[in-house]
Amino acid sequence: MSLASGVSVHDDCIDAFNALRMSRKVKYVIYKITDDLKQIVVEEQSEEEDYEIFREKLASAKDAKGNPAPRYATYDVEYDLGGGEGKRSKIIFISWVPQDTPTRLSMVYASTREVLKNALNVANSIHADDKSEIEWSAVLAEASGGKAK
Amino acid sequence: MNPSNPPQAAEYGGDEVSAIVLDPGYSTTRAGFAGEDAPKSVIPTYYGKYNYEGKERLVFGDNMFVQPRAGISVHNPIGKDGIVEDWDMAEKVWEYSFASRLTATKPDNPFHNGLNDISSEELPAEMEVETDEKPLADTPLLMSEPGWNPAKAREKTIEIAMEKWGTPAFYLARNGVLAAFASGKASALVIDIGASNISVTPVHDGMILKRGVQHSPLGGDYISSQIRALFKKNSPQPITITPHYLISSKTAVEAGQPPQANYRTFPADRAPDASYRALQEERTLAEFKECVVQTWPGPNKLSGPGPRESQTKNSLAARRAVFGVDRFRVVESLFDVKAAIPDPDSPVPAPTQAQTLPEVIKASLAGVDVDIRPHLLSNVVVTGASSLVYGFTERLNQELMTLFPGPRVRVSAPGNTSERRFGSWIGGSILASLGTFHQMWISKKEYEEHGANIVEKRCK
Repeated sequence: MSLASGVSVHDDCIDAFNALRMSRKVKYVIYKITDDLKQIVVEEQSEEEDYEIFREKLASAKDAKGNPAPRYATYDVEYDLGGGEGKRSKIIFISWVPQDTPTRLSMVYASTREVLKNALNVANSIHADDKSEIEWSAVLAEASGGKAK
Repeated sequence: MNPSNPPQAAEYGGDEVSAIVLDPGYSTTRAGFAGEDAPKSVIPTYYGKYNYEGKERLVFGDNMFVQPRAGISVHNPIGKDGIVEDWDMAEKVWEYSFASRLTATKPDNPFHNGLNDISSEELPAEMEVETDEKPLADTPLLMSEPGWNPAKAREKTIEIAMEKWGTPAFYLARNGVLAAFASGKASALVIDIGASNISVTPVHDGMILKRGVQHSPLGGDYISSQIRALFKKNSPQPITITPHYLISSKTAVEAGQPPQANYRTFPADRAPDASYRALQEERTLAEFKECVVQTWPGPNKLSGPGPRESQTKNSLAARRAVFGVDRFRVVESLFDVKAAIPDPDSPVPAPTQAQTLPEVIKASLAGVDVDIRPHLLSNVVVTGASSLVYGFTERLNQELMTLFPGPRVRVSAPGNTSERRFGSWIGGSILASLGTFHQMWISKKEYEEHGANIVEKRCK
């Protein structure tokens, strides 16, 4: 067992993630740690098709006091391999800890990350602390292993 | 508060016990309560030994600096490689770090303090009070350790915590993981510039990658040895370092002028040991490092042409001198071994190219999977007090971009001095203060059931 915060994963997270995995409609789920730092809950589950709207939402996440705050997300990335290979889709896990996050929250989010990632069992992941790291091209490269154009 | 309502348990806080976080380093030992921003107790890991009235005495913490006792010698229970060498003394120094400032002194045994004197035959046997109360009997303890701490040392640490200090719950966390987490990252390349060592620790998904952990002795103490070498070569005459305790008064002088001061002298039989003077000199050098020393920004070689403004330094022997390019030279050999200032008399061996930071980083990355290298390079975390040398992170960034031109390199370092000095302590403090962390602790019961080896299974 690696060093972890002990923060637990609420069952809703698993349900929301299964909905993302099973249905074609759900595009992403955003998760957060509750203010009492006890468990991870679902903040939003959405069918929004536009990646930029998701990116904006993630990057503008705020804590109770209105300061930039970290989040986790899972996104269903659809991509075209080109050359008649057809469409594929892959779910990636994103941890978002903006640079000016207070140390306390950074510590809690970093030490809880593996717990959620393992509970959802997602292999591909991205860590970002700057908006440029969650551009569509970065997400696409991670999901397709660099194969998609 | 309404007087007709009894106080709530949480408000009263009677049974809330804060854990203690202990972060033992080579130069200093940091201890404090979990949940606080900085360690309350920061003491030198060095301790003093002297003879008084025919008995050997020990002196710990800053008390050592108060009085230059006759014949006092200075020792360190931790080896140059950051691993404990003298366990009995390490236990004493660590215990001093929390017992002197954090844990309250236990009240005297009421039967022995003279207030309840009764004749011995009247003393009922069942009222005997347990005398060997342990210092952490009610306090959970989280400790940190370097990534290359061997299994034997880890087991010995939990043994001391459980058996000597009586802690009810214990955890041992890797420095590198704590530093990575504190900057919000579960995967990072942690570069720690400490006093006796520089180390590079790859952390992936919250675990250290053991094969990639590298360390080398070119830390803060090495920089000091370079400054000493520089002072020796000074012309027209070498600069001697005179620590505070040898100066009784001084007058300010112009730069380059001989110092004007009255010195304190000790007759041979009253003088402290040379190791005491060396440690005191080290404190003077620490000031020099903060005020004068800088990292050469590059990109051209330090030996090449470039603008070099000078800076003055009011040294403690009432001396004032001007240092130009030399103030870069003392750090340059961390990056380029050819820049090292040779000093054949120094107890510190001359550095080798393999010990320089770029080589240590290369060796570390060579030990990890090719696929994770780019992730690590885009998440470089700098910590450790000696990384506060002016311009250090910028230079490191430059070196990394030259070494690895392909992948994106990003270096992050807390701008806040205390976060850089106490990075792993602060990380431990936050974790140990979380209500949810209780499930991570190794309890006394588990220790008794499974033995010291449990630390290998639970604290990976």
